[in-house]
Amino acid sequence: MNAWLYLHFPHLLLDYQQALQPPEAAVVPTALIQTRARQQQVVQANLAALQQGIRLGMADVLASTMCPQLQLRPYQEAQEHRVLTQLAQVLYQDIGHLVLTPPHGLICEVRSMVQLHRGFHGVVQRLHQRLQQWPLRYLLSSGYSPLAAQLLGWAGCPVVSEHATEVKQALWRLPIECSGLPAEQIAKLRDVGLVTVGALLQRPRAELGERFGGALLHYLAALTGELIPPQSPYHPPDRFDEKIELVAEAQSWPQVMFPLKRLLQQVEGFLESHQWSTRGLLIRAHHRDGSTTQIKVRLARPTWQQGELLQLSQLHLARQQLAQPVLALSVRVLQPEPRQAVATSLIAQPATKTDELTGLIGRLQARLGEHKVQQLHTAMDWRPEYQGQLQPWQATAGQPQVTQRMPRLRRPYWLLAQAQPILRQQWQLQWGPERIVSGWWQADTIQRDYYIAVDRQYRQGWIYHCSDGWFLHGWFS
Amino acid sequence: MVGSAKLTSPADYAPVALHCVTNYSFLRGASHPHEFVEQALAYGYQALAITDECSVAGVVRAYVAARERPLQLIVGSKFRVPKLGTVIVLVRNRQGYAQLCQLITQARQRAHKGNYAVTEEDFLQPLSHCSLLWRPAPELSLEQCQQYAKQLKGSFGDYLWLAYSRHFHADDAERYQRYRHLSDSCQLPVAAVCEVYYHHPQRQALHDVLTGIRLRQPVSQVVTELPQNQEHYLRSAEQLQQCYPADWLSQSCVIAQQCHFCLGELKYEYPTELVPAGMTATEHLRNLTYAGARQRFPQGMQTQVKEKLEKELQLIAQLKYEYFFLTIHDLVQFARQRGILYQGRGSAANSVVCYCLHITAVNPEQIDVLFERFISAERDEPPDIDVDFEHERREEVIQYIYQKYGRQRAALAATVIRYRLRSALRDVGKALGYHEHELQHYLQQVDRRDQHRSWQQQLIEQVPGLDLTQRGRCLLQLTQEILGFPRHLSQHVGGFVIAATKLTELVPIEQANMPERTVIQWDKDDLETLHLIKVDVLALGMLTALRKMLQLIAIHYQRCLTLADIPQEDANVYRMLQQADAVGVFQVESRAQMSMLPRLRPQTFYDLVVQIAIVRPGPIQGDMVHPYLRRRAGLEAITYPSDEVRQVLERTLGVPIFQEQVIKLAMVAAGFSGGEADQLRRAMATWKSTGQLQQFEQKLIQGMLQRGYQLEFAQQIYAQICGFGEYGFPESHSASFANLAYASAWVKYYYPAVFYCALLNSLPMGFYSANQLLQDARRHHVPVLPIDIQVSQWDHFLEPGERGLQIRLGLRLIKGLSQGSMAQVLAQRSAIGFASLQQLREVGLSAADLRRLAAADALHALAGNRHQSQWDSLAVQTEQLPLFQGIHEQPVPSQPVPLPTEAQDIAGDYRAMAVSLRRHPLALLRERHGLRGYKLASELAYCRPGQWVQVAGLVTGRQRPSTASGVTFITLEDESGFMNVVVWASTAAVHRSAYLTAQLLKVKGKVEIEAGVIHVVAGILIDGTAQLAELGVSANRSRDFH
Repeated sequence: MNAWLYLHFPHLLLDYQQALQPPEAAVVPTALIQTRARQQQVVQANLAALQQGIRLGMADVLASTMCPQLQLRPYQEAQEHRVLTQLAQVLYQDIGHLVLTPPHGLICEVRSMVQLHRGFHGVVQRLHQRLQQWPLRYLLSSGYSPLAAQLLGWAGCPVVSEHATEVKQALWRLPIECSGLPAEQIAKLRDVGLVTVGALLQRPRAELGERFGGALLHYLAALTGELIPPQSPYHPPDRFDEKIELVAEAQSWPQVMFPLKRLLQQVEGFLESHQWSTRGLLIRAHHRDGSTTQIKVRLARPTWQQGELLQLSQLHLARQQLAQPVLALSVRVLQPEPRQAVATSLIAQPATKTDELTGLIGRLQARLGEHKVQQLHTAMDWRPEYQGQLQPWQATAGQPQVTQRMPRLRRPYWLLAQAQPILRQQWQLQWGPERIVSGWWQADTIQRDYYIAVDRQYRQGWIYHCSDGWFLHGWFS
Repeated sequence: MVGSAKLTSPADYAPVALHCVTNYSFLRGASHPHEFVEQALAYGYQALAITDECSVAGVVRAYVAARERPLQLIVGSKFRVPKLGTVIVLVRNRQGYAQLCQLITQARQRAHKGNYAVTEEDFLQPLSHCSLLWRPAPELSLEQCQQYAKQLKGSFGDYLWLAYSRHFHADDAERYQRYRHLSDSCQLPVAAVCEVYYHHPQRQALHDVLTGIRLRQPVSQVVTELPQNQEHYLRSAEQLQQCYPADWLSQSCVIAQQCHFCLGELKYEYPTELVPAGMTATEHLRNLTYAGARQRFPQGMQTQVKEKLEKELQLIAQLKYEYFFLTIHDLVQFARQRGILYQGRGSAANSVVCYCLHITAVNPEQIDVLFERFISAERDEPPDIDVDFEHERREEVIQYIYQKYGRQRAALAATVIRYRLRSALRDVGKALGYHEHELQHYLQQVDRRDQHRSWQQQLIEQVPGLDLTQRGRCLLQLTQEILGFPRHLSQHVGGFVIAATKLTELVPIEQANMPERTVIQWDKDDLETLHLIKVDVLALGMLTALRKMLQLIAIHYQRCLTLADIPQEDANVYRMLQQADAVGVFQVESRAQMSMLPRLRPQTFYDLVVQIAIVRPGPIQGDMVHPYLRRRAGLEAITYPSDEVRQVLERTLGVPIFQEQVIKLAMVAAGFSGGEADQLRRAMATWKSTGQLQQFEQKLIQGMLQRGYQLEFAQQIYAQICGFGEYGFPESHSASFANLAYASAWVKYYYPAVFYCALLNSLPMGFYSANQLLQDARRHHVPVLPIDIQVSQWDHFLEPGERGLQIRLGLRLIKGLSQGSMAQVLAQRSAIGFASLQQLREVGLSAADLRRLAAADALHALAGNRHQSQWDSLAVQTEQLPLFQGIHEQPVPSQPVPLPTEAQDIAGDYRAMAVSLRRHPLALLRERHGLRGYKLASELAYCRPGQWVQVAGLVTGRQRPSTASGVTFITLEDESGFMNVVVWASTAAVHRSAYLTAQLLKVKGKVEIEAGVIHVVAGILIDGTAQLAELGVSANRSRDFH
């Protein structure tokens, strides 16, 4: 019997990204590219791109010459791995023994599931149903060994059958290039006339071992299922905190509904796999400057269903202002609890935070909004307005302090929020000018001559002259 | 500080700039040298110092701009010295200049290419003829400053200043106090020295972007590295007076007045060792020339030639160019002794003197190129001779130069690599924070062949909104500004400068990228400006091939020939060329040349000279090709607008073809003076970098109209000049090339086996791959035998066969095989060959090489077909016990592996060698009925013009020449030969995928036949690559878009 199924998602990351966008985005030919052999190559492409003649492995230059409106984005391995893990989480509801085979495949063990899903075809059907929620292109193949199923999936000629003979026939026909062996081995095998997987399996093992080494014998054993290489099956994590990078910036809440729905689908899968419910979610919208808008969704009663979660989340979001465009969205499951379990305590647990300041700020930010808790921050810029800035608390962390690289500058401690026009004759210049002409790259060029000067009350001020006249910008004393 | 710098303000104060950093301090200065000069002149400066960082690379450009203008140019250089601070060294006189060059050379040679390393020690040594301006490092204490000041005074004496600069920074006042204090305590005068990085404040943004590029970060990330304002420009007298105390300003004037050096003083001295003691150079050259003449003209010279020779010798003596000719003579002598084939070309090369000195083999009796036209007494320019050597042996000549003159006296000229659109947009874009992909995308939107719209216009149209953001506008503007900026120095392909004494007294020498190579800091234009002579030692593949051909002829036919001995004007050879049978023939083998051959039908050597020059951007853009062909065919009357023009154009039927003719036309028809014509010639040479040609357009057209020429003719001439600017091609070069073209064609006609064998042994070179050459060889009935480990050598060789000489392929064809290890193996091959695979391993063949041989089917004699021999070689034991050595035990017999099919064999050949002697893949497809209804290449000649046909072939080339807008020429190859397919842009757009990616292309189209040239104009393109894949053959051998 074929005890293994292999799910192959050749365009996993791209399909996933498209799923987060409204359907009309799918008509734009899009491809992901990666550097291979010193060349940028197309590694995934959507249907629109494939219809225009774009092929995997094509150089990016060629691809965009062929299809000028083709959108190219870099392929991101880490992101795809995250997607694959999310998929595993979903499928874990149906399959107990799952193995991730990055970059874009999953192996499922069938034998132990046959009873639950009423036969081999029951399992297959269950998988198809589950995957229908996701607009992903995939191939499903069976095999008497994990490798056999994989090869048929990679080669694009899947066989779905419980009978080993069908798999064997298909496998034997595979050209040697589809053997999954290293390119060097393939070349050697082809050069001795072994051009199909079948021809390879037919040769006496001893002869092959002598010529191609132990690695090939291991491969053959894995292929025939005599030996299953060690696997590390997937185990669902105990907490859920997932993030989705948006393909384009979202300006309003309705624009993030697609990705949110996806995330909540995963939440459901997660809760389902643990047989848990939740009482709360934390939704965070990430902005360009590193800050986030946080929305806590509290649920009156524990739940795990996507539909309910979505409805409540929408209500919460509608109440919150979205001040900046959103680059990424994340969802954390806050208080998962076993289903049917009764809340044991009405009083919240005492806080065990070690860093009380962080805790306090976190609470303040949650209450007041992130932008309301700010910190002084020095930026590297010649323009005084840009040099000292108040920035949200979190955004300051991790940025290099660069003040020591600037020469000793004479700057007042008190910089006026808005420079005030002055009468030049009321001031006596003491020092200067320091000329600042900078900021052309931001279309915010200033062109000023700064002086230190005293007014009639002998107060020392920082004044400047520009094309608009004379201004007071700060006080030294 | 306020009010401290008020002056009594003498109105006649003429400022000096002592510290200008140009864009030749790569990625540091933001203006061209000439921009500084122009600005300084506009502000009434009396002196301007160009002080690039550890470099004098920009001074010649400034010198050209300032020549004969009221501005003193000072040569200097800036150094950042650890601990000490910044110093500016200014040259006071010729010795000082030599000292500076020496210092730069040292500093450069201590570091990797592009960098330098100096210590304070370097400035305590003799720089006695230089002035030093010192800007102490901010962290130095007073005591340390005093200490250094004392030491520096020791070497510079009174020529040492503190250099104060004021750019309205926060620390101006502090530094002012510090300098005053230092001046008192160290007894050093202070001079006002602005730090100038650009000529105009508007260049601030570009300067910031250059900083971003240098630090490889977006500008917004490196703000602290950017100056805080735009004050590093060249200030006016008034601004300077407002900035600095009067006494400091006058100190600067004093410094400038002490500098007396001018670059014009540099005198090139030729190496003198070439002339025997007791003889003058003139005498020696005359002796050598006449000695050579006796060899070249055993029957004696025609009087006409003799007169010419005398005239040339006189001219050389008058201009004192004897040493130049002697130097080249010395090089070619060396090459002759070593049996290295070479040929001279260039303006002075086709002279009788050069023929007699064996510098060139172009017989002056055959071609009448006026020597004076290239070396003339009025025009003060150095003669130009390039010598091509065999590409495989040029290194020997270079090593000879280094040995003979020493590394101190010889170095390569530099080539300045400049920003062009692609590099400019990428670098500027990255500095503005654009992502690599975005920039790539923008670049793809620009068609640089579009002459009607600028690249900016195209981008704005293609990328809506680009110019609506500040960043987008900056990208467009700054990219345009940076175009033509020098980016770094590279080495010239082969231009050597050789000096009489140390070269470093003339110009600094830098390390080149290539190990063991050194380059000077000037490029060929700089050298020409300063009348320094360079000798071009170039590499040419065809010379290697010709030497090998001549050797093979000597071995197999006992006929010893040199290039000059090859029988001239052989009608058979020309007949062959007229039929476009020119694969492998030098210069005329390209697709464009081949389709010109049947139209131009060369019959004489001079026709060949024209043929080679006519398929170039100059004549094509000037629309001169068709008039010439019509006149040649007698379809159009040969007329001349005037007698002067007749003189210039007579030899090309009244149609200007060569660069020299066009320049001469500018003189006789548009009234250009000799000097102006010279400027025109220079502008053509640098057209791409500066676009200087436009200034001549008006003058040329006006001049010609005034003299009664047609406007249309004048415009054509100008278009042709622009074409030459893109790719200059003078008659003198063409003549030398024609000589090699004729020689190779002659061998091809009379000794085809020799011809192909030598060409194959000289690869990589030329236009065609080994496979294409072999197919051509077989079409010419030259038998070719496969590689066989029992017979083959590393190189291909000729062996006698039933049908004459046959080519035995050599091991060099096999990819990845190493020549060294194979030589060892072959040395141990006995007369009967090797006995077994095991023996091959025992004589030192590696397992990998054994497999390569098997994959190339070279082990047939030992182990049968390629599958079996591969299978067996994999089983050969890597090590044998000494006891069993010599006992050739066969490996344990196994089942035989499957026999290779014909398709597998062909595919295996291509994989292992990119060559196959078996049937063409298309023949297989045809046999399998995969190509029913498709015509063979050889059948096209029998089609009627306009007939619709279907053809199919492997794509061997896609060319989109810049001279043919919107047309792509695709070359297809089938089992019977080549086909030229013309694809219009609209067809390409419809069948984009097949057009761009097909390896096997099927074309439905119309046959066009004109003067024996056959094209198929494509209507439909079909990608047949899948059929090829069914055979298991991948034929990715195309040379795309050259």
